[in-house]
Amino acid sequence: MTVSLPTLRHPTAYDMQRALLHGPQLSPRGYRHLQVAPLSGAIGAEVTGLDLAGLDDRTMTEIATALADHLVLVFPDQGLAPGNQIAFARRLGPVKPWPYASPMGGFPELTELVSGPADIHNFGGGWHTDSSTFPQPPAYTVLQCIEGPPAGGDTSFANQVLAWETLPQEVREGLDGLRLIHATSKGFGDHARSTGSGDVTTTPVVVPAEHEGLESSHPVARTHPVTGRKALYVNAGFAARFDGWSAEQSQPLLDALAAHGGIPEFTCRVRWRPGTLVVWDNRCCLHYAHNDYAGQRRVMRRAVVEGEIPV
Amino acid sequence: MPGYVSTFQYQSAICHAPQFAPRTYEHFTVNPVTGALGAEVEGIDLRTASDAAIAELEQALVDHIALMIRDQSFEPAEQIAFANRLGRAFPWPFARQMDGYPEITELLQEPADKYAFGGTWHSDSCNFEKPPKYTMLHCVECPPVGGDTGFSNQYLAWESLDPALRAELENVHTVASAELGYGTGSQDAEVLANTATPVTYTPDAAHETVHPLARTHPVTGRKALYTCDSFTARFEGKTQEESLPLLRKLWAHAITPEFTCRLRWKPGSLAIWDNRCCMHYAHSDYPGHRRLMRRIVVEGERPV
Repeated sequence: MTVSLPTLRHPTAYDMQRALLHGPQLSPRGYRHLQVAPLSGAIGAEVTGLDLAGLDDRTMTEIATALADHLVLVFPDQGLAPGNQIAFARRLGPVKPWPYASPMGGFPELTELVSGPADIHNFGGGWHTDSSTFPQPPAYTVLQCIEGPPAGGDTSFANQVLAWETLPQEVREGLDGLRLIHATSKGFGDHARSTGSGDVTTTPVVVPAEHEGLESSHPVARTHPVTGRKALYVNAGFAARFDGWSAEQSQPLLDALAAHGGIPEFTCRVRWRPGTLVVWDNRCCLHYAHNDYAGQRRVMRRAVVEGEIPV
Repeated sequence: MPGYVSTFQYQSAICHAPQFAPRTYEHFTVNPVTGALGAEVEGIDLRTASDAAIAELEQALVDHIALMIRDQSFEPAEQIAFANRLGRAFPWPFARQMDGYPEITELLQEPADKYAFGGTWHSDSCNFEKPPKYTMLHCVECPPVGGDTGFSNQYLAWESLDPALRAELENVHTVASAELGYGTGSQDAEVLANTATPVTYTPDAAHETVHPLARTHPVTGRKALYTCDSFTARFEGKTQEESLPLLRKLWAHAITPEFTCRLRWKPGSLAIWDNRCCMHYAHSDYPGHRRLMRRIVVEGERPV
């Protein structure tokens, strides 16, 4: 075991530049079947010129490549029917119902995330990666906008490969091999209730009895099964403590890593319109649902694609 | 200081913001980009705009705080003339001025630069006795992607603080100095001096200025949080060590994502923002590319 947890300094511009230069955002590859326009220097691309309801295998292969390159893909003007959204998600891997909210009628693989005009809290506020408390957290999330405010309700994403690569060498060495406990109680339990973040009125999150107290231990630096690149796999939403350390001992470094993971240079911000569908890779990015549309209604449909045991 | 922003506090703050109920403008179109602040403006040529159109533009600035005005083909003299219709454009003393146009600072990033000008959350020159009320940037050249500017609404930051804390902080002042950002002791001093837009350190940088922590906007009468880690050294009457714990919490609070927007540049775009009620952040995510912006600052009032 490590003798002490490392302390963290802010990355220098040089750390940042070095990591960014090797990312595909600034020199996207040529695609045959897709039009891909990166959204920022760090992460995310808009993909136009196709209908996700009728993809041939070659196009699907290119979508998988683009996802590995850009981590987040935004497909405007899709308007997929529930069955088609599930079918598209299945092409990325096994799709299972998410057990913490009631599924959409007739489509157990879809969760409808509804924010009502009177809601105070939103679903997915705060930087997090989906369901990292599961032993096998979802690899991808497929989210489609059904209804939303004219402005507000954006989702931001942060590239955690860059977050890892910009950590100082000695911090990376200190963290490599370390494991983190992700706890359901942190995101959805008493802790969440006491801070209000788990109190979502229109789409209540109900932790099923068999998930009460669920915790999973995952590596702090997670290796992506496709790219082989390491990503920082720490999120403030669920991170309870380092394995072998108390919550109190862990908190200063967890706070520092959470702040590091959300540095604006690692991010992009996606604006939704009805019909926009976004796919992201939970293994190497964080996301944040902006709760800035008070008094308005927003409806999203979500499917999650099963992933591996993190290594 | 509460552990976290009360969601209710910022919901009630956001509900009253004009982002959700933009007024109808006669001389141009305005499209808000988030629920917090920021709008894209189209359909106006600022070189030939009437007085009525300029007055309406100032109203849009009051409503949306940061505007990205598309498709402006300014010559430097035209940009200065436009700035002078909003107040007094003045030369900015910490960088070399554009030849023949002292009111303009050219912010140039070369592909090999390792430092981006403005790469922290800050309000421009809040170390001045009379900090600029507006800053405008005209984009001459930018990368195809990257280099966005983020903005954060500091009315919302102030109004969403816990009421008890607001009452405690209402009459507190802070001490600001450019020493932190540009001084010889600055952690970025070396990179600052070695980029295409070197920031010139002068003894003035150490000059300390006292401003209210909650600043009242002269037009709206609303209070805005007015502090940033680039310039705020400490609370007046306290040491830096005593001040930093609460200051750090306020700085983190001030950039809660719900208060922010992010604007993307195109050549010819002109952004104007109100430094009295927002902070901004230049994203340095475009290594290997060139970016050239022309900046003018418009003099403001002494903060009250």
